[in-house]
Order: sequence, then C-alpha cells, then structure tokens
Amino acid sequence: MRGMRVSDQRIFADALLTGRPSCPPGLTAWNGSDPERRFAIYRSNVIVSLIDALADTFPVTQQLVGEEFFRAMARLFVQEHPPRSRILAFYGEGLANFIEAFAPAAAVPYLADVARLEMLRVSAYHAADAMPLTAEAISRLLADVAVLPEARIGLHPSLAVLRSGHAVVSLWAAHQAADAAQALAAVDPEAAETALVLRAGLDVEISRIPDGAAAFIEQMRQGAAFGDAAEQASAADPAFDLAATLGLLMRGGAITTMTIPRSATS
Amino acid sequence: MNKTMTAASLALALGAALTVAAAPAAAADGKMSMEKEHCYGVALKGKNDCKAGAGTTCAGTSKTDYQSNAFVAVPKGTCEKTVSKTSPTGYGQLKEFKPKMAG
Repeated sequence: MRGMRVSDQRIFADALLTGRPSCPPGLTAWNGSDPERRFAIYRSNVIVSLIDALADTFPVTQQLVGEEFFRAMARLFVQEHPPRSRILAFYGEGLANFIEAFAPAAAVPYLADVARLEMLRVSAYHAADAMPLTAEAISRLLADVAVLPEARIGLHPSLAVLRSGHAVVSLWAAHQAADAAQALAAVDPEAAETALVLRAGLDVEISRIPDGAAAFIEQMRQGAAFGDAAEQASAADPAFDLAATLGLLMRGGAITTMTIPRSATS
Repeated sequence: MNKTMTAASLALALGAALTVAAAPAAAADGKMSMEKEHCYGVALKGKNDCKAGAGTTCAGTSKTDYQSNAFVAVPKGTCEKTVSKTSPTGYGQLKEFKPKMAG
C-alpha cells in the first residue's frame, strides 16, 4: 500500500465502506485465493468493529431501540460517516444528528437527545483535569463586594449542559437502575429536562438542573461577568436561585477560577 | 436599567453557597457510602465497567464470566458480598486474584 495515490485511496475506502466496487482493483491474495472474498471478510470486520464501538459509547441509546435496530442504524451511520480520527473513543459525535434525520427512528423522538447525553458523558470523562477553587479563595473575593459583579467565573473543562424537550436525564437514569423496566414506567418522556454533565474525580455525573441554572452556566461559559450572568439567568427563569446554583457548582468542584478584571479594580 | 442583582445580593448568594457547599464535608459518612470501589471477579462476560468510550482497551473486553482480572464499579462495601464463581473466597475481591480451578 506504500505510495498509494489519493484517487486509489478513495476507491479503496469506497470499496471498504460501501462495497462499491466490491474489491479495489489490483488486489491479490498471498495464497492465490479470491481477493474479492478475502476483501469482503476484511470489510465485514471493519464495519462490525465500528458498530461495536458505537454500541460501547451509546449503551442506553441501544437499549431504547433494541440491539437489532441500533446495529442496523449504526451500520448506515458508519457507511455515511466513517471515523475521521484514529481515536475511537470520540467516534459517534455525529450520531445524534444522524438519528434526528433518520426516519425509522422518528417514533422515538427522544433518541437523539439520549445519544447526545451519552456522547457528552464520554467527552466529560476525557476532559482535562482542573482543581476546584478552594472555599478560602472564594471567601477572599467577598472582601471587596463592590467589584464582585465584574468577576469572571471559570468552570471545569468537563462541565456541559444539554437542554432537551424530552426527559433525557430521567430516561438515562432509568437505564442505570437495577430494574430498568420498572424505573422507565415512571418516566414521562415528554417532560422537558436540562442535564448537567460534570466529572467528579473519575466519575462522570449527570444531574437535572433548572433552566435558570443552565442560563447562568451558559452566560459564564461565554465570558459574561458574574453580575450580568445572574441578571440574564433571572430574566430567563424567574425561579432562578443564584445561591443554590453556586452551591451546586461548588459542591461538584465545578468552579475552578474566579477573577476580577484589572480594569474593575480600584 | 433596573439592576435586580446588586453587588450585595451577589455577595449574599456567594456566601450562602459557600455554606451549602461546605455542608457535605460535615456529613462525610453519608458521602463515603456513595464512593465506588473496583471489584474484581464479579463482572459478567463483556459487562466490565469502563466509561472511557469505544476503542479504549478496557470497555467490555472481559471474555469469560467472573473473569478474575476484570472489575466492575460497585457500591462501596458490596464487593466482598457479591458471589464470584472463580474466587477462592466465593465472593468478589478488591484486588485481582488467581482463579481457582474449575470443578
């Protein structure tokens, strides 16, 4: 394969993923057997290993539709979206969007968001480490209350928010229960939920958060000042509870920096 | 613009949050029971735990039931009460072990 031309690579890749052509031209088998049959075995192994990789990353998505449906859907995804990176852990980032446009999955409208949540879990697992800010360091900021609204709050790299029109957290959590069928029966899939994904130590935790907390986090992620972020969150959700949201973030070790811009200090 | 969030109210919320966040440290016993331990010899074939995603070497790679060098995260304290057919003690262990001979 050394010195393979780009056009030849294209043909090889097409043959591998779609079976058209069924065998790249010029292929020979070391023992004189039919290269087309040998290549078909290779193709099958490649596709099945990628479907297995998706099944590893999306266990709840698979449970929601069953193994047969999931694998058939995953096969189409693999053919349309082969991996772009050699790191298989992140393979499947496009699966949620694929599911959304996949007509046979329309009967399970929450499937795409569950897949999004499962991908966020893997990303959170691999996100960089960051030390949470100590209570002492946060207390020090209370010494100059006047500049507090200008503070910029940095959040843990693993933290992510997912807003869903469906009960994405409850659906996911029900599948972690010992009796998933019983737990699922208690879930109303049509209830909108917002998920917070955050890694604590080596464990990725998923919890439900109110809309206001999600708005506050999104504001701070965009670099908004503490005061403005709190304003926006209150406007978005009249029930926004700033103290409870900060408490939740601190408990999870999610607040990693809190700085006052130089221009704000007197 | 009518600022509902004054500097004082931000400080108040931050102070309250510090108190809330400090609370679980006092209730450390409750927190401890939530910690996981790695339990060897109790995972069924292909069901050993790994949250690292596909393509990592650990996810679902155990080839036999009760494989003694494969672990699953279980609620702390429950490992050594979980039955393992390969374990000499008859239960899961907190370290890898040499499986006892079948039969």
